[in-house]
Formats: sequence, structure tokens, C-alpha cells
Amino acid sequence: MFAGKIDKSRYGYLFIAPFFLVFFIFDLGPILYSFYLSFTDWSGFDTPSFVGLANYERLLQDTLFFKSIYNTLVIWILSIIPQLTIALTLALILHEKFIRGKHLFHAIFYFPNMVTPVTMGVLFALIFDWQNGSANKIIMALGIVDDPVNWFNSPFLAQLIVASILMWQWFGFNMLVFLAGLQSIPEDLYEAAEIDGANKFQTAIKITLPLLRPVLIFTMITSVIGGMQIFDQPLMIGKGPENSTLTMVMHLYEAAFVRYEYGYGAAIAYGIFVLIAVATAFSMWMTKIREKKEGVS
Amino acid sequence: MRKSFTFIMMFSVLIIGVLAGCSGDSEEAGSNNGEEMNNENMEPEDFEGTLDIWTFFGGVEGMAESFEEKYPNVDVNVEVFPGDQYQTKLMTAIQSRTDVPDIFDLERSYMGKFINQEFVANLSDMGADELVEGQVEYVKELGTGENGDVRAISDHSSPGAFWYHRDLAKEYLGTDDPQEISEMVSSWDKIIELGQKVYEESDGEVNLLSHYGDVFNTEKQHQEQWVQDGKLVVDPAWKDIFNNMKQIRENNVDAKLGYFSGGWGDALNEGGVIMFAMPAWGGFMIDNEDGKAEGKYGIAKTPSGYYEGGTYRSIYEGSDNKQLAYEFVRYISSEEWQNKNLEETGNMPALTSVYEENLDSYTHEFFGEQKILEQYYDLVQDVPAHEAGENNNDISTLFYDAASSAIDGGQSYEQAIEKFKKSVANGYPEIEIE
Amino acid sequence: MRNNSISAMASRSEEQHDSEIRRNQRKSFLAKIIIWILLILAAGICLLPFYSMMITATHANADITRKLLLTPGSHLIDNYQRLVDVVPIWRGFLNSLIITVSATAIGLYFSALSGYGFSKFNFKWNGPLFAFVLATMMIPGQLGIIGFFKLMNMFGLINTYWPLIVPAANNAFGLFFLKQVADSAVPKELLESGRIDGCNELQIFHRIALPLMTPAIATLGIFLFIGKWNEFLQPMIILFDNSLQPLPVMIASVRNQFSVDYGAQYVGIAISVVPIIIVFALASKKIIGNVMAGALKQ
Repeated sequence: MFAGKIDKSRYGYLFIAPFFLVFFIFDLGPILYSFYLSFTDWSGFDTPSFVGLANYERLLQDTLFFKSIYNTLVIWILSIIPQLTIALTLALILHEKFIRGKHLFHAIFYFPNMVTPVTMGVLFALIFDWQNGSANKIIMALGIVDDPVNWFNSPFLAQLIVASILMWQWFGFNMLVFLAGLQSIPEDLYEAAEIDGANKFQTAIKITLPLLRPVLIFTMITSVIGGMQIFDQPLMIGKGPENSTLTMVMHLYEAAFVRYEYGYGAAIAYGIFVLIAVATAFSMWMTKIREKKEGVS
Repeated sequence: MRKSFTFIMMFSVLIIGVLAGCSGDSEEAGSNNGEEMNNENMEPEDFEGTLDIWTFFGGVEGMAESFEEKYPNVDVNVEVFPGDQYQTKLMTAIQSRTDVPDIFDLERSYMGKFINQEFVANLSDMGADELVEGQVEYVKELGTGENGDVRAISDHSSPGAFWYHRDLAKEYLGTDDPQEISEMVSSWDKIIELGQKVYEESDGEVNLLSHYGDVFNTEKQHQEQWVQDGKLVVDPAWKDIFNNMKQIRENNVDAKLGYFSGGWGDALNEGGVIMFAMPAWGGFMIDNEDGKAEGKYGIAKTPSGYYEGGTYRSIYEGSDNKQLAYEFVRYISSEEWQNKNLEETGNMPALTSVYEENLDSYTHEFFGEQKILEQYYDLVQDVPAHEAGENNNDISTLFYDAASSAIDGGQSYEQAIEKFKKSVANGYPEIEIE
Repeated sequence: MRNNSISAMASRSEEQHDSEIRRNQRKSFLAKIIIWILLILAAGICLLPFYSMMITATHANADITRKLLLTPGSHLIDNYQRLVDVVPIWRGFLNSLIITVSATAIGLYFSALSGYGFSKFNFKWNGPLFAFVLATMMIPGQLGIIGFFKLMNMFGLINTYWPLIVPAANNAFGLFFLKQVADSAVPKELLESGRIDGCNELQIFHRIALPLMTPAIATLGIFLFIGKWNEFLQPMIILFDNSLQPLPVMIASVRNQFSVDYGAQYVGIAISVVPIIIVFALASKKIIGNVMAGALKQ
């Protein structure tokens, strides 16, 4: 029987083969091409000319790139902590039996993720307008401030606004991920816990969270990988005061698609790749994914 | 084992393929060089075939229809690729020489990066010099390449002016006559003084302007180019722009409503601000339901002439349909089309002759009986002619960003310039900065 | 006396117990009310912009960028007319449907297959290969489109749907998600018993693992469907005929020379949102329906 088990493990290659096959055909080429471009000077029209490491040297001296790393981190942290907290809380609540119309709430909480960027841009411009925005009207009516707040004149406020947009757009997404994880937990475990007299809070800590761990790790890591590539939301707000909402990928976009410096843009892309890899490795180490894996298998 | 070998094979084939695909791009340059097209001697019926045009807006289809009407044997195929990514689409197609259209549209903001490339046909060789001869100077110059050849042609100009509320003007400026008002706002000093008066008389309810950005928008084309001989040159006139912006803000001349923001649109439709520097094509922002905007506005001249936006058409060098493509460009350069375009869409013409022809007759419902071409014609001729340039506009935007953030933060011109130089250095390391 | 006191104690403790239950019930009733209020509040914040997006389709261009619109306007028919005058919107709808449905189906199946493969087979290169999959997610994709176009051009696949559909089979995000779900939702014992019953590995995957992963697959289905449905850049670069383009590209094409025709665009957006909601409703049932319990009893 043990021999059989070892034999079977090689079937794994068959299961993952289609994924890698399609990857090699469709995705690897573009990735390598961008990598090649990062060693060239290319405006998009002429033949790329090889410049060695010049783009990477420039990257290391690009103060705006370092600023964009900082901006990305600030925006990410401001959005991810409330986002995941709210998502997990809502998922736990919506997993309860007494909530009627769960479907409806699933859909509604996911709606922000479906609102198109154009609508988002118009909406937030209207809400956070300096003179006419609803946000200012509300806080002035409440007597919190006397003069309207010029939201996009303060670097931190601008970052906070981008972070709230992100949070608002993505908490429903993470909530659905958590719910899918919760649904995978066998019902009998809860029944057993109920018979043992455990209360809701105890079951959540003792049963739900440990079994939700793989999904929590997934959320953590994809939030790091996705969060470091924030782009759509800051793009629609703009670079912000003192470039405070210029994120790393926006910096890449400006170099390549606004200034037509594709070589440099490619170098920024690989700079971002290294940073994300480090951040992911760090967060994996934090969640001790390895130890856990060995413990399970 | 065998599988991984196949992978390696495919892998290397791919790399070789991809790398090969990017060199050796220079094929078929100038099959038609130096050949004048002689289209003048042909009748519309003589032209036949299919013409492919790429653009970023649907309106070109109307243009194509009008062309097809006149040229019954020609089929014009317009493909629309929206958004900023139109540039990427065009570029990828051109690089691989795949299905490139005969004619492609270029927008003012990025055309400078395209028109000097070898895949753009030299229109002067086909006789286009005489097509643009009668055009407004700035329109003609933008389409001119580095060597002085015509590379791209536009069928319109896009001048800006002050649009003002007639009722507010009567109340606070004492008149709604375009001539008189143009005189009252003929310099920024006058505007600042007038704006203070309006603010005081209305107890802070009404502002003369919407935003200090109007200064930048109307003046930004009147300075020396930013980059000369690889060096950054800061024209002293930028300091005046900065100071005017600053004084406008400090003296409550403007209502602090960002250009094309929601509040700006409200003020444009409902009042609170007397005048708005905006381009001739800005009418779509005006709510004219049941004709309520008829005769509501007047046009006054801005202190300097300026333009905003613009679409140009180029012919692909590798096109095997150049004669027909040239005929299309010739058609849109004609008085016939530009008159029609003015009448149907309100787009200002590129030809001075079309301006002159309509000077005493053209009116638009928003402006009542005012002959608005008079103002626009004066202004459009005041716009300095510059080549499209690769990054002059982008650098101007960096200046505005630095200036406005300094003004909003109560900083000086010197601090703004310091910020500005920093951002130029970051974006354009090849430019020498003192 | 003794008996009395005992029974008195007993009855007191019973009373205590009763009141405790009642108190608990009251407490949990209060908690429920608070939870409901919070849920509805959050729902409002999420619904309002979405609702406004729909309502905007009924307004004139001059109003759209100026106001947060909440009441229906009278321009729906005008806007729709301008939309269909410029683009064959229903053709675009069909195009979107073809691309999205096939890409989602492929994406779901292969994500489940490879995620399950990484989760349940302890082959030698499992760790490094999985790290590689994660690494592919870390390269910002914006620049890749240029190389992708060149490659597809080499393959002769430009202006076809293949480049938009087939790459769905390597979705690193989907693989990762379903691997994590398989880790907790598919017990090894069940697989072993399948093997003992003489099923081959693929049968085990289809008959045992897939049903157990259904809630997560349904969730991923929503993500993949919506992501593909809203995709803009790839189809625009790969497809050359306007009539082949999916909805987002067609909707964005509705503009004049200098300005965007928002009214018509919003009608397009409204049209494109309807199928998303339908897919949501269908998938949501799968997420809720407790497939797990049923599967285990088999």
C-alpha cells in the first residue's frame, strides 16, 4: 500500500502538465521578451538597441521609483487591514444560519468590484471635490470643519482616499473567498462542537480559523502580490499631490506608455518583480507556510 | 523525461522566434517616393477600391460616409480602437507590419512621437504642401515633420476662448457685448482687478473665473520650447504665469473649481462663475434640453490665443493604396468638407478661407446672434506655430503640476521651479538641467 | 425540611437556568438586530454607486459628469439609439458571451486539475514548481502585451479568439486558490478509498474531488467570468475587426472627436451588467448549497 502511494505521486505531473504547457506556449515568450527589452533602449518604433544594465542603473537612482515603493506600501497597508478584517467578519456572519437572503448579500457586497473604472472616477471626483463634494458638505454640516477640505492637496489624505476606494472595491471579493473556504469545512465538525457545548466564539477560534488557514494564507499572499501592483484606482485619481498616489505600476505605465521608454519601463517591471518576490517570501515566512505544510503531509 | 525535452525544444523555439521577431524591422520603405499623385486631374468616379482607416473615435465614420457619397466606387472601412491604448494597438501593428491601415489618426498629445518615424508617408512628396498652404499656421506646423515635410494633416482647428454667461456679465460687468468684454479681459492684470471687483460686489457669491488653471491653459503655448540643444530652458514668462495664477487665487478671482470637474460643469450651466476659458468643442458640457441654453452665452477673447486638442491623419508608408489614401486626405483638407463639418458638428475649420467665408454668417444656438468666428479667427491666428515636438507638452504639464501644488501649499515660484526640475530630471534623464 | 430545601434549591437553580437562557436569548436577539443593521448599512454603501451607475444610463450627457444621479431621467431611449447607431452592441454581447463562457469553463477545469495536482501529489518538484507558479503572478503584466502580440502574430492567431480563450488554462490565481481549497476540503482518506475501489486517478479527481470543491469552483467561476467579461486591453490589441470585439471595447468606442458620449456608454454598461448578475445568482446558489455534507455521505 505504501509503495502504491509513492507510485501515485508521479501522476501529479500529469495533472499540472496542461497548465505548464499553455504557460510555455502563450506566456513565457512575452515574459522573456519584456526581460530582453529591459536591457535595451527602445522607443517602440526603431530597433531596440542593447544598452546593458543602463536601465537598471537608472532605476537605482530614480528617486521617484523609491517614492512609488513607499506610496504603494502606505496605500496597501491602509487598505488591506480594514479590508481583510471586514471581509472575514462578514464572511463569518453570513455563514451563520439565521441570516436570510444570503445570496442577496453576497451579490451586493461584491457589486463595488463590478463598478467600472469610469464610473468610479466620476463618483469619487464628485464625492471628494474641494468646493462641491458631498464629503465636504457632510462634514461641514456636522460642524467638524469650518472650511472645505482640499482632499487632493494633502498627500496623506489622497493616499487615504485611494486606500478606501481599494478597500471598498475589494472587501467583497475577499469575503467570497473566505466564504468558499468556510463552505469547505465539513458540517459534522460543527455538530460535534455543538454537542460538546462550545459557544459560537469558541467554535470560531478552535474549529473555523484553523481549518480556514489554507484560504487565509491564500488571501494573505494574493493580497501581497496584487496589492503591490495597485494600478487602476490610482490611475483614475492621478499622481496626487507631491506624487503621493503614484504607485509602482503607475510609474511603469508612465515610463512605457506615456513617455515611450519601453526599455526603462521593462526594467521597472522587473524591479517590481524582485520587490514582490521578497515581500511574498517574507509573508510566507510570517505565516510559516512551510512548517504547516510539512505538518499536514 | 521525454516531456521535459519537448518543453525545452518548444522553449528555445519560442525564444528564437520572439527575438527574431523584433529585429529586421526595416522592410519596404518608400515604394512610392517622390511621385506626385496628380489626383487633381481625376474625377471622383475614377477612384475605386477599399480604404482602411484606424481611429480612436466613432465620428470618423460620418466623415467616411460623406467621402463615399462623393466617390461612389470607393469603400471606406473604418475601425475604431478606443482609449489611450489606441497608441499601443497602432504601434504593435506597425512593428509587425500586420494589417496596418492605409490611414491612421493621431491625437495632438502624442502625435509628435509618431510623425517623424519612417513608416509615416511623406505627404509633401504627394503634393500636400498646397493642401496645407491655406491652413491656420499652428495647425499646419503641428503636422510638419522635422525636415519641414508634411507628415500629418488635420481637418479642423480647436481654438479656445472665454465663454461667458450673458446674464451674469450684464449684472456684474455692466454689458454682455463680446467686443466690450473682450476689451475688459484683454490682460491678466485687468482680469485680476475685475475679478476682485466682482467678488466684492457679489459678497463672495460670484467669481469671475472658474480656476487659475485658465492662465496656464491659455498661455502655455506662448513660451520658448522647454528643451533646446538638449538643455532645459525655463522661459522667464513662466514666472508671470505663476504669479498670475497665484494672484488669482489670493484675490478670490477664481471659484477653485477644477477644469471639467462636476462643480465646474454646474457653474457653466447654472452660474456662480462668469467666464470659462474653454475650447470651441466644449459645447457638449452644456445642457440644452428644450433649448434652454439658446443665446445664454457669449464668446470673449482670452488675453492670448490658444488651442486644445486636435486630430491628425497620416498615411502609412507601406500602404499599397497610397493614391486613394491621399485622395481621402485631400478631401478632408478641402473647403467643401470643412464647411460641411462646421455646419454639422460645429468643429472649427483648419482653412483660413473657410473661416473668412463664414465670418459674417456663422452663428451657433448657444451664442444667439453673435458671429463667433470673428473672435475665434482672431484668436486662432494668435496661436504660435510649433512643431508637434516629442515631449514639450508633457514637460509643460509637469510645470503646471509643480506650480499648482506650490500655490496650493503657499510656496514661492523658486520652490515650484525646484520641484519642477526634479520631476523633469526623473522623467527625462537625458535632458541637461542646471 | 431537608427535602424541601433541596427541592427549593433545585427549583431556584432551574429558575436561574431558565432566566439565563432567556437572557441569552435576549442577548442574541439584540446581537442579531445589530448585525442586521450593520449588514443593511454596508449593503447601502455598496449598492448606491452601483444603482447610480444604472440610473445614469437614463440621463443626458450634460448632467452625467456633474451630479450623483439617483432618480431616473428621460433619456434612456435617446442614449440607446446613439449607442446602437455607432456600434453593433448586441453582436458585441454575443462576442463577449462566446469568449467569456469558453474561457471561464477552461479556466475552471484546468485550475481545479492543476490545483488538485499540486495539493494531493507529493512529487519531487512540487515545491519549486509551485513557487514558479506564484512567481508568474509577480511580474507586472502591462508590458507583456507587446510581446504577446508579436508571438500571436507569429502563430497566425491575430484576429481570432484563440489567444483570448486558451491562455485561460494557465491561471495562476485560480490554481493557487483551488490548491488551498483542496488542501482543506478534500480528505486524503476519501482518495485512498477511491483507489481501493479501483478508480484511476482522473476518475478520482472527477468523481470525488471535483464535487467536494464545488463551492470554491463556483466562487472562482464568478471571478473568472467577471474578469473576462470586463477585459479590455487584450481583445482590443489582438482583434482587428470592430465587429469581432467584445462589449467593453465597443462601449468605449462610443465617443466623439473630443468628448466621451457618457449617456450611450452607460446604456452599454447597463447591458453588460445584466449577464454578470445572472451568473452571480446561479453561482451563488452553488456556494450556499452545502455540497459538502452530501458528498461526504456518499
